[in-house]
Amino acid sequence: MAKTTVSIIEISLIVLVAAALGVFWNRTLLADAWRGAPTRQAAPAQAGEQLPMPVGLAQVKEMLDAGQAVVVDARSAASFREEHIAGALPLPLEEAKKRTGKSPLLEKVGKDSVVIAYCNGFSCHDSMELAKLLIGSGYGSVYVFEGGLPEWRDAGYPLAKGER
Amino acid sequence: MSAVKRYLPVAVRIALGGIFIYAALPKIADPVTFAGSVASYQILPYFWSYFTAAVLPFLELICGVLLVSGYRVRACALIVAALNVVFMAALASLIVRGLDIDCGCFGGGKTSPWLALSRDAVFLAMAGAVLWFEEKRTPPPVVRS
Repeated sequence: MAKTTVSIIEISLIVLVAAALGVFWNRTLLADAWRGAPTRQAAPAQAGEQLPMPVGLAQVKEMLDAGQAVVVDARSAASFREEHIAGALPLPLEEAKKRTGKSPLLEKVGKDSVVIAYCNGFSCHDSMELAKLLIGSGYGSVYVFEGGLPEWRDAGYPLAKGER
Repeated sequence: MSAVKRYLPVAVRIALGGIFIYAALPKIADPVTFAGSVASYQILPYFWSYFTAAVLPFLELICGVLLVSGYRVRACALIVAALNVVFMAALASLIVRGLDIDCGCFGGGKTSPWLALSRDAVFLAMAGAVLWFEEKRTPPPVVRS
């Protein structure tokens, strides 16, 4: 058999084995990502600490459409101006950290409102940090949309640009 | 045959394999973070960032292990070369679009696209060298008259 043919067969086999191993090893993660469910469970709470719960794409859309929740963008002001979930409020994490204890984190949003924080999805931790600050400042129902902007954008849901 | 000529092909092959094993392990340990790195390139849709993060590290690991062990070297060197070409194209697109993100190459620690591009060029050259050494090592086919 020609050397090229042997190489093509070997390369195909190696790629197939890698794909099979990768998919099997990460089957739960991939299934969650496919369904649009949160891919990372909340870490165990420290003593006395209340952690925000992850929420999936479908629920975020449903709650936002029904006006049942306020969606808050934890990314920088520049990123918000460039693109954000339509209807979201800007609250960059850095700004929120400065505001704590001085002025309300979210003006005109009642403490009994349902608040959903998001950032760039995947491993971005800003939404989780912001959600913790919101809980700390008295908001009772705070969630984190883990898929964040990438998942929202890929689903073809409405986006907006500019200041809010 | 000098010692350099004798051991250089083995050294390059093992170094390249070791680098790919080293690159694969942190990504296998934390696929969500790697999916985030893939997504930050803004090339693949949401699910495919996860799929790439799930499969790519295993491809790197298998090729790394096979290169180190010296088994199926030609096929692995070709895969590694192809991967590096893809990585370099992705990094070049970052530079063109002006995105300053972590390349996600070895997990953790921010590396600029330019540095990552130069590093991948070295790895591509190493893969080319492994292929070249492999071609030279393989005896020519016996022609029967």
